[in-house]
Amino acid sequence: MNETVRFTLNGADAVFDGPAGTTLLDLLREEHGLMAAKPGCGIGRCGACLVLVDGAPANACLVMAFQLDGAAVVSAEGLDRLPVAAAIRAALVDENAFQCGYCAPGFTVALAALFTADRDADEAAIRAALEGNLCRCTGYHSILRGALAAAARLREAPSP
Amino acid sequence: MTAASGFSVLRPATLAEAVAAAAMPGAVPIGGATALQLDWAAGAARPGLLVDLTRCAALSGSGVEPDGGLRIGAAARLAALEHDPHAAAGAPLLLAALRSVAAPPIRTRATLGGNIAGRTGCLIPALLALDAALVLASAAGERTVPLAAWLAAPPAAGEIVVAVLLPKPSPRRVETARKIGRRAAFTPSVIGVAASLDIGPDGRIGAARLAVGGGPNRPRRLAESEALLVGCDVGAADWHALRGALLEEIDAADDGWRSRSYRRRVAAHAIVAGLGGAFPPHPGPLPAGGERGQGRALPVKGVRAEDRAIPLPLAGEGRVRALPEEVEVSHRSLGDRWRIRPDVQAKVEGGFRYLTEHRAPDMLIGRILRAGRPHARIRAIDVGAAEALPGVRAVVTAADVKGENAFGIVVQDQPALAADRVRFAGEPVAALAAVDAATAERALSLIRVDYEDLPVVTDPEAALAEDAPRVHEGGNLLTDLHFVRGDLAGAWEGCAHIVEATYLTPRQMHGFMETEGGFARPELDGGLSVFAGGQYALRDRMQLARILGLPEEKIRVVTSPTGGAFGGKDELTVQPALALLALKSGRPVRLQLDRAESVLSGWKRHPMTIRMRTGCDAAGRLVAQQVDVVADAGAYASLGPGVLETALEHACGPYGIPHVETRGRLVYTNNGLCGAFRGFGANQMTYAIECQIGRLAERAGLDPFEMRRRALRRPGTPGYLGQTVGPSERLDEMLAAAEASALWAAPRGLSGDGAMITGIGFAMNYQGTGLGSIPPDPGGGRLALAPDGKIEAAFGFDEMGQGALAMIQAVVAGALGCDRDDVRPIVGDTALTPESGSTTAARATFVAWKTARTAGPALAADLVAAAALRLGRDPADLAVAPGGIRDRRANDAAPLIGFAELAASLDPLPQASAAFEFPKTDYTRGNARFLFISGATLARVAIDRVTGMVRVTDIEQHAAAGPIVDPAGYLGQIEGGAVQGLGFTLTEDMRTSGGVFLEKNLDQYLMPSIADAPERMTTFALEDLDPGDPFGPRGVGELGIGAVTPAIAAAIADATGLWPATTPIAPEAVLDALEGAG
Ligand code: FES
Ligand code: FES
Repeated sequence: MNETVRFTLNGADAVFDGPAGTTLLDLLREEHGLMAAKPGCGIGRCGACLVLVDGAPANACLVMAFQLDGAAVVSAEGLDRLPVAAAIRAALVDENAFQCGYCAPGFTVALAALFTADRDADEAAIRAALEGNLCRCTGYHSILRGALAAAARLREAPSP
Repeated sequence: MTAASGFSVLRPATLAEAVAAAAMPGAVPIGGATALQLDWAAGAARPGLLVDLTRCAALSGSGVEPDGGLRIGAAARLAALEHDPHAAAGAPLLLAALRSVAAPPIRTRATLGGNIAGRTGCLIPALLALDAALVLASAAGERTVPLAAWLAAPPAAGEIVVAVLLPKPSPRRVETARKIGRRAAFTPSVIGVAASLDIGPDGRIGAARLAVGGGPNRPRRLAESEALLVGCDVGAADWHALRGALLEEIDAADDGWRSRSYRRRVAAHAIVAGLGGAFPPHPGPLPAGGERGQGRALPVKGVRAEDRAIPLPLAGEGRVRALPEEVEVSHRSLGDRWRIRPDVQAKVEGGFRYLTEHRAPDMLIGRILRAGRPHARIRAIDVGAAEALPGVRAVVTAADVKGENAFGIVVQDQPALAADRVRFAGEPVAALAAVDAATAERALSLIRVDYEDLPVVTDPEAALAEDAPRVHEGGNLLTDLHFVRGDLAGAWEGCAHIVEATYLTPRQMHGFMETEGGFARPELDGGLSVFAGGQYALRDRMQLARILGLPEEKIRVVTSPTGGAFGGKDELTVQPALALLALKSGRPVRLQLDRAESVLSGWKRHPMTIRMRTGCDAAGRLVAQQVDVVADAGAYASLGPGVLETALEHACGPYGIPHVETRGRLVYTNNGLCGAFRGFGANQMTYAIECQIGRLAERAGLDPFEMRRRALRRPGTPGYLGQTVGPSERLDEMLAAAEASALWAAPRGLSGDGAMITGIGFAMNYQGTGLGSIPPDPGGGRLALAPDGKIEAAFGFDEMGQGALAMIQAVVAGALGCDRDDVRPIVGDTALTPESGSTTAARATFVAWKTARTAGPALAADLVAAAALRLGRDPADLAVAPGGIRDRRANDAAPLIGFAELAASLDPLPQASAAFEFPKTDYTRGNARFLFISGATLARVAIDRVTGMVRVTDIEQHAAAGPIVDPAGYLGQIEGGAVQGLGFTLTEDMRTSGGVFLEKNLDQYLMPSIADAPERMTTFALEDLDPGDPFGPRGVGELGIGAVTPAIAAAIADATGLWPATTPIAPEAVLDALEGAG
């Protein structure tokens, strides 16, 4: 059945009127042309589709339209809104954290959520926060180095 | 891209509304709904009505009850509970259990009630141990029931979980909770345990609550075992008796991944060890480093691990390198050579577009109908109803194939769309294009295919029997390779030690994160463009032309960029369907396989059974080896014959063995498809031969370095097949590097807390590059000055993530003298790029380097000459520099004329091309490689004494592949290959039953997560080449995975004495070895 839901997407008001079971992933990609969240498994097991819903990381392939009413959704394209994002992105780029990059927006979202909640996250916290993201290219260590470099940058930068 | 299902949703705000809604016919109450997609994918019926309980106030909140107990609303999100102060104070056991449920992003949405309601949740054992009760509500009213009792009764329809009650905890307790999975994190539950003992003031156990559950296991308390503990002094409990009682009492499921008895054992061990009891018994003295296996003669002996957390420096933190001539490949140590790859920023920001992500208003959505059965004759296909559905623009079947309905890189035995027979469950039978996804899905269900099932061929060995059912008319034996040297029969007599073993390797899935897909569009000139991730656009075009009956010039194929390939996009995937649909509909068509369809239909690694018998003399010199390989080809050939031949070429590794016989058979089955995969057969064989050498060293009483030193081939001698081999072999150096490794000083043996046994092992890595002496192996490229002043470097190979763009920039800038940013790489597009050969076999680096070396000077000379003319200078005074042409003698590097200005003045623009064959050896009686690269891999493992699970704490790789072109690319290939190899070794296998894959998606097929990645990975490179070596940098794309498996196997042998011969290595086998039952 169709549902009408109102939410915000990267800070802007958005309305969706369509089947209640439409996934947030399809909604972002096919309705809004936002391609950063990517389909990797469709069942919540790879993290390629990660977005922030009300500030918390969520698998866009699992979230359905009816669950969005009143929610604030931020996709990887909209991370600029978070004070930690610039440092995270710069550190990931500097470390050449990704190869094919298909997993990259998902990891970036997960790290943005982590460092927003805890600017002092250490390696154990970083690893724990990334348990829901699969990467097949890198073996994870380049991503880990990028995340540790981001943590160092954030420690140096004054808190907002 | 499943079409949204047509359910409606109620979002009750009060308990009364919730109860009423849940009582409606067909209503399904939900919390975070995080398991619904999974359930639906597994075939669960789609509900008509969902009742979203998360907005119901009565189900939210947590707080302390008057009696001191804790009440947690069923709609509490798991992630919120992790930070709930009440839960932290009142139920630390629950908090511990929470962190093992799924992964952080799931926990932000999943609810406590949802975890309980399905009765399979991973929290249930902990809740049982906490003596939880449920508050339930239905039309009949509210009731409170102990969780254990609720689990024992059948579910009551229409009843919802309102809250969980946890009694006030006893002030003194001993507690434990543990989930045992199939990988380190985000894993299905093998079994979960929890236990909580209330300790009285006298130190005696007042109450004991022990529980198991999780996943397929029935959740329950363990009353008999509990009774054994009550009244005992907690310091003097009879753990041995408890273990026995638990083994008796625990019942567990057997779902094929882990046996019932394994689950029982690990659950019993986990409870006993978790409560502070003894670890499972171990035969004889525990290895304290150096007492067993390889440890016997390694450089550092008798080191006891103090703790599980071993203070080793992180990569790049000043660890001494193993050989002075090596460099550590890291940002830190190669900072001045470290460059940012040109595509990484867009990838991080999410703006990077893959070929599956192009959208246009008139684009149709394609879908493919798969057989869904492993072996059948097609009697009839009826697409009438699908074609008649409004919104469907084209339906294609084999009847629409105008050219040859056959493709395959080596043998054209595979139809683009099945005509009269299907040979694997993922075989495409028809395809269609429609205006939207919902219409396409509906149309797919309207196609009727009348099948007559045929006997399924599943076991390659059985398939070799004369009377076995046939997958192909010509029989099931696709390839039979034989090689003999020396006199094997006589040689065994000269052997003092013989080791014989059978190695089994898995059907590994590539697991690229971007599944197969792209789009195709008809062009105005009657031609066709196909954009789909691939590894060799020219060959894809040739194969498509053959299928479509079109001249190649009419087809443009674009294969880059793609989101990972690893060999799995080397052969055609969805291109034939896309092309046929675009031609028939006259519209652009896109499609991307969802993961389940990718799993079902995609290429996999060939499972191999490798029987190996290897002998050495009393002095440890290798004398004889016999190898027999049977490989599962799957339903069609693709590159299978090449994979088998490559495996056999590596049968002796880098060792000289005078008497050898190898046989290899590749056998058709109905077990899906097998094709190229990073390593290409060599890594399977390296696993076998390196384990053989390690075992022989033990028998001969030699340390594993000395054993290898005596056996390593000498540089410059003929190769394994007798062929001439290229220069710059570095085997001795790699062996020395392994021996000198700082890793040997790391703790080994039993950890201080007794929970782990650690071991260290290593293996040699030796791999041929290029396609070999027989197949055509063209290379080449084109360099040109573009109108905007960029140096365009065009190559036909692909950017699949490995860093081709950065690598091209590096070699071209290096050859010309310009900046890397002056170079614009163009790859993987038949309209724009020349013949460079395939993006496989670690060959692209050489092709680009050689092109730059050949065409670079010619282009530079043209650029300089043109600049000289413009500037009125002598060309001899000028040189190419970053940004343009400079005065050769001027100190400042500023160009006299920029490339853009130069380009603006020139017509035509200068360009230079190169075309050559990849370096080949003289040997043509069989396919043989010429250029080999070498390395050594060390692994350190920590084995869990409760579960037998192997955690790889360290991987250290040494590589000798010539100069590093781009440090980040080099490091990425080695590290990425290592962890892909770790998956092959420990967790990954696409199992089949009756020709059907048992793993359907990434919830069951377990690739390593970040928690499985080693704590430390270190990579060293030996860059030098022999003087005059004309072959430059070699690619390392396949080196990283090459020797990881045998290094881990050797480390396990060091720790346990067991040389695992089956991968993925079963924890049960390791546990058996630890407990002396193996
Ligand atoms: S696509 Fe959402 S987690 Fe994989
Ligand atoms: S970079 Fe390719 S999957 Fe992570």
